[in-house]
Amino acid sequence: MKKSIGDNMIPKDWGFERGLELVKKAGFDGIELWLGDVPWFQMTTTDAQVRDLRRKIDNAGLVVSNVSTGLHWAAPLSARDPAVRAQAAHIVERQIETAVLLGTDAILVVAGLVTEEVPYNEVYQRCVEALRPLGDKAARAGVKIGCENCNSEQRFLISPREFAQFLTDVNNAAVGIHLDVGNIHDTGFAEQWIEIHGPRITRIHLKDVLKHRGRSGDQSVYTNLFLGDNNWPAIRAAMTKVGYDGWLIAEMEARYRYAPDQQFYDTSQAMDRLISGRL
Amino acid sequence: MVIGRRQFLGYAATALTVALRTDGSGSEPSVVSVLDLKEHCSLRESLAGYERASAGCVTRRPLLIVPAALALPAAATGAMANCLRRGGTVLLESGAGYAAESDCRVHREALRNRLQVRVAAARFKSRRVPYVDYAWPSPTKIRDFSRVVPLAEHQSGEIIAWADGFPVALKRRIGSGTLIYVGSPLGPALWAGDTEARQWLSRLFSL
Repeated sequence: MKKSIGDNMIPKDWGFERGLELVKKAGFDGIELWLGDVPWFQMTTTDAQVRDLRRKIDNAGLVVSNVSTGLHWAAPLSARDPAVRAQAAHIVERQIETAVLLGTDAILVVAGLVTEEVPYNEVYQRCVEALRPLGDKAARAGVKIGCENCNSEQRFLISPREFAQFLTDVNNAAVGIHLDVGNIHDTGFAEQWIEIHGPRITRIHLKDVLKHRGRSGDQSVYTNLFLGDNNWPAIRAAMTKVGYDGWLIAEMEARYRYAPDQQFYDTSQAMDRLISGRL
Repeated sequence: MVIGRRQFLGYAATALTVALRTDGSGSEPSVVSVLDLKEHCSLRESLAGYERASAGCVTRRPLLIVPAALALPAAATGAMANCLRRGGTVLLESGAGYAAESDCRVHREALRNRLQVRVAAARFKSRRVPYVDYAWPSPTKIRDFSRVVPLAEHQSGEIIAWADGFPVALKRRIGSGTLIYVGSPLGPALWAGDTEARQWLSRLFSL
């Protein structure tokens, strides 16, 4: 297994190249690029500029693990407005294009958003129909779309079996799940999600979760590895059980208040312990 | 036995396709036609919803459904007029809720000039209650679609649905036929499998 961490974790005043140095020095093998979340990688970033990002990543001795985005929270594939849906599809297409330019074969998509306004049945149907052609485009580019399980935040596909049914309905081999073991909160158990999805897992996001806290106020429900309630020995065993040997990508929501670079070292070491199974 | 077939009306040159379904009995066909306005249909999922919901369905009188309409090309109004002349029903669904202002203007003018239906500007529906209240053909609540194109005041016909207290649908006799205007798209709800929307349409089919 290989270790990666998001470029949106790089302290804001550090810049991309200094951040890459930190990622490498902390022991990561790769970096996850977040389209739209960081100043160096926006929808307006040209192909040439993307190639320049790759050159810098290569020079740092890293590779790109995957291309993620948070842009679909504002422009979901499930929107009622056709113009918003078109923008959402355009974001996915740009993710696919940049994944190819960056030499990776996976992207993360937050597939749909159930709201008071847009009900579940519409979201489900729209996402299925949107992902089929996008999956075809991804397949032609040699890229896999990983739909992230943002369970509580999306209010969508809350259980692993339902998520599996969703992927079955999409029925496209290029569309799988980008499994986040922290996002399951108190609605289930990450190791069971890993077991159920097995070969459909495109990437795994790592973070720990404080199940008792819930989403209340401005307190994060997430925490650093081994500080929360995830059953890490079970999660590690489940990865072995299903033969997952791909990228593990750290996604820490709560940042260190002081010495933000220390979080990179701590996280990398914790991931080493997880990978080695010394838990 | 119900036989479904797809055929072009006399408007093939305009690329408007109409799905026709007949009872195949040799008697006067009972048809449910769904008119694809192509670029003038603003919500393809609405078209898909009506097509899916009407598949294999028959009616006593001709029924022409025009989903998510923006502009109404002459061929479309011709098809509508033909249906009404035959004593049928035309269900015209507004697709202007999410349209650009210029398209909304075209939409309003088309409804006013060709069908004498006057509508107000599209507006957001309140989120307090996410339903449109229909009084006809059967009283029911159907999921709204966030924006509605309400009817203007003082015009002929019977108001059959309200949203936020605004009239959003009407039916009007035109000759021997009936025109139904709905200003809150039903097609997407049909497409998503909304039970009440399907029941509403089934009730319309049974009239």
